Amino acid sequence: MTHAMFPVIKTPSFFSRLFTRLVAGVVFLLLVVPAMAEQRVGNIYGLPPCVTVSGGQIDFIFKIIFWLTTAVFVIVQGTYIVYLIKYRARPGVKAHYSHGNNTLEIVWTTLPTIIFLALAIYSNRVWDDIHRPAPANALTIDVSSYQFGWQMRYPGISGKLSPSDVRLISPQNPFGTDTTDPRTAQDVISPDLVIPVDRPVHVLLHSRDVIHAFYVPEFRLYQDCIPGRTIGWVWFQATRTGEFQLACNQLCGTGHFNMKAPVRIVSEAEFNKWLSVRQQKNAAASATTPPASIPSGAGAPLTASETKPTL
Amino acid sequence: MSATIADPTHADPESHAGHGHGKKGIMHYLWNTDHKVIAMQFLFTSVFYVIIGGSMAVAMRWQLAWPGHPIPILGHLLPSTVVNDDGALISAGYNMLVTMHGTILVFFVAMPILIGVFGNFLIPLKIGAGDMAFPALNELSYWFFSISGVIMMAAFFVPGGAPGTGWTAYAPLSSHAAYSGTAMGQTLWCISLFLNGLGSLTGAVNYITTVITMRAPGMTMFRMPLPVWAIFITAILLIFAIPVLSAAAALIAFDLNFGTSFYEPAGGGQPILWQHLFWFFGHPEVYILILPAMGFVSEILSVFSRKPVFGYKAMVYAMSIIGLLGFIVWGHHMYVSGMSLTLSALFSVSTMVIAVPSAIKTFNWMGTIWRGSIHYTVPMAFAVAFVSMFVIGGLSGIFMASTPVDLFVHHTYFIVAHFHYVLFGSSVFSIFAAIYFWFPKMSGRMFNNTLGWIHFWGTFFFFNLTFFPMHNLGLAGMMRRISDPTVYDCLKQVQPLNVVCTIGAMGLGFSMIPFLINMFWSMKFGPKAPANPWNSTTLEWTVDYPIQHGNFPVTPTVYHGPYEYSVPGMEKDFLPQNEKAPDHITLEAH
Repeated sequence: MTHAMFPVIKTPSFFSRLFTRLVAGVVFLLLVVPAMAEQRVGNIYGLPPCVTVSGGQIDFIFKIIFWLTTAVFVIVQGTYIVYLIKYRARPGVKAHYSHGNNTLEIVWTTLPTIIFLALAIYSNRVWDDIHRPAPANALTIDVSSYQFGWQMRYPGISGKLSPSDVRLISPQNPFGTDTTDPRTAQDVISPDLVIPVDRPVHVLLHSRDVIHAFYVPEFRLYQDCIPGRTIGWVWFQATRTGEFQLACNQLCGTGHFNMKAPVRIVSEAEFNKWLSVRQQKNAAASATTPPASIPSGAGAPLTASETKPTL
Repeated sequence: MSATIADPTHADPESHAGHGHGKKGIMHYLWNTDHKVIAMQFLFTSVFYVIIGGSMAVAMRWQLAWPGHPIPILGHLLPSTVVNDDGALISAGYNMLVTMHGTILVFFVAMPILIGVFGNFLIPLKIGAGDMAFPALNELSYWFFSISGVIMMAAFFVPGGAPGTGWTAYAPLSSHAAYSGTAMGQTLWCISLFLNGLGSLTGAVNYITTVITMRAPGMTMFRMPLPVWAIFITAILLIFAIPVLSAAAALIAFDLNFGTSFYEPAGGGQPILWQHLFWFFGHPEVYILILPAMGFVSEILSVFSRKPVFGYKAMVYAMSIIGLLGFIVWGHHMYVSGMSLTLSALFSVSTMVIAVPSAIKTFNWMGTIWRGSIHYTVPMAFAVAFVSMFVIGGLSGIFMASTPVDLFVHHTYFIVAHFHYVLFGSSVFSIFAAIYFWFPKMSGRMFNNTLGWIHFWGTFFFFNLTFFPMHNLGLAGMMRRISDPTVYDCLKQVQPLNVVCTIGAMGLGFSMIPFLINMFWSMKFGPKAPANPWNSTTLEWTVDYPIQHGNFPVTPTVYHGPYEYSVPGMEKDFLPQNEKAPDHITLEAH
């Protein structure tokens, strides 16, 4: 630099010091602060426990991406910082005159393309696997969301949910069931999501008003519930018992922040016991529900689920 | 204008009479068709909204760290629709702030500064034109923007208050009065965005026409500085993206006020239609907010490394490809919205592919500083930090791009961290870099260095303190847009991180103070700046402050590309675009 025109140039040593401080600051921020916090609380940077089979698959991809991005982060930022220090302005040293290098451009276009496409292909294989049709032995639960809460409908003694139709959903008929159908009275209604461990659980997601989202961090599962539709492709299998919380994760109004429901994963025996107790409680309540029937000419049969949406 | 390269200067001084030039007093600033004055109008208006939108963020952070506790000072300034009598946020008010913070920062801060301020200021000066192609339309663009802002802010004071539906305003929460209770505020939101869109469109038409028809002799497309390329591509994106938002917002207003059911399933509408329309605009919008930033940073890195931009053409191609691909990735916001699962898979492929041009740009920025002679100034510091923050924001995006991982991190604080690294760590850092870099040309004075460095280190440190822990919060399962994380058992253990984020946010707010003082004080009292304080090569540095109306006394002729620094064999280390290279020197093709 022959023309010393920059009014704001500092000496290099000043910048070396600044960078040292910067690095120290970042290390403190990333390692020391969370470590101090960790002494007081439990799990602060790990993921919450994973309690579903598909969650394990997701965590595996997550780890691949985590280590891949961490490696890229360290290499890129490391090289960058080295350059920033090494190539700072020094008296008598002129910058190298270069407009670029086409070979390099080709290399750093091809390499990321391959990595990203591989990631996309692998991700979509897992995506398809997670969304394969629910197994035949799955327990089907109708999950109904509303401003601002959740309600679940379980199959009664027949082992099958009574027919329902989203067009019938109303404040009087929250699940859109055919109240003239005798099977409807067998359904078990619950404010909690109670599921048996080690058995596939197929949830039919509904909303009575606005869009809500079914989100349980420990399940690694998020899915929007759309009014006027049944989302029927979500199923999961719990790998251990425990108590968690179902959260709405789509802004749905003033009570959104507190729209939650307890989730209990229990043994099959405990589940059956809970269901039968629940059924007895329900029997009395269901008698008061006014009847509603499928509108004549509604055409489509009462289907419980839409496993693949239209484009 | 038939010629590709038209005479940029208005030869006839009489033609300036209608441009507001020479008007005295307040009218000079209210209706003025000089692109430089319009740029300043955009800048001052946007700085006002930075303060408003930023304060909202701090109020939200306070609530998240200490839910239900009255907010000091700010709590008494917020309207009664947002806070209770003690000055603590109510949950409806929190939702309003979520909505308005996002809307204001996107439509009234980032877009107008990146495009309105620098598009206006830089395009004519950098391509050697006398003004924009349509000066009156240009001023009209500012007024559309300005009025849309007043309408947006008015939403806080109508019955029901501001909309509480998020800046994404998902239907039918937004399109059905009974669900949100803020029908009037939401309608104003729609009208405001409609007008704001008209402002963006009139601006975009102007930029495109100016770049295509008014370049100085010798200024071929591939000799244009990268900020001009970036804003040119951005303007094309605006033309295709903005009308979709305007139409979609109009449909919400119809649903709310005229009994239509575009988004209401009971009347045969589809809630997801809104998401498709919104994100068809919304994803190009993300690139609208980052492309100009990339353009500024490319130039600033080159100037202060005293080196040509590494891979100039690769940069242009990368930006063009980002612009194109930007229109086929919108579905990655909707993997788990109830859209077809097959579509989700397709969108994840296009999303992974669009990461490639961003990677190319990052490598070229590193190539630019490689073997350079880096001069650390305040604008350079922000530009350097931009690249670093952009890398973090880019890498965190890969998690969401992977469909199965999105099942886990969708709508958590992980995404909040991600887009703040891109929008704040990248776009806003670039805005700071650009303001410091062109401050001498815009105000004729130098900024104060000490205040500039305090601003930089404060912003850099507190930005990371605020947003880095949000990755952890998201992975711990913290939902975005909830006003009280402590109601969830699994989030209680990470509450200390929320406190850390809030301390960072307050620090970030305080870091803005030296910036504002610096700008307003130096503009009046700073030392006079030389015409070309950074020894830069592009045309705007060839004219003295104050730049006359019409910009160039004599139309400049351009002889070579924009970034000829450290050319071997030359005594000075920069070769302005309007200077011929000495005969014995051959410039490398770029």
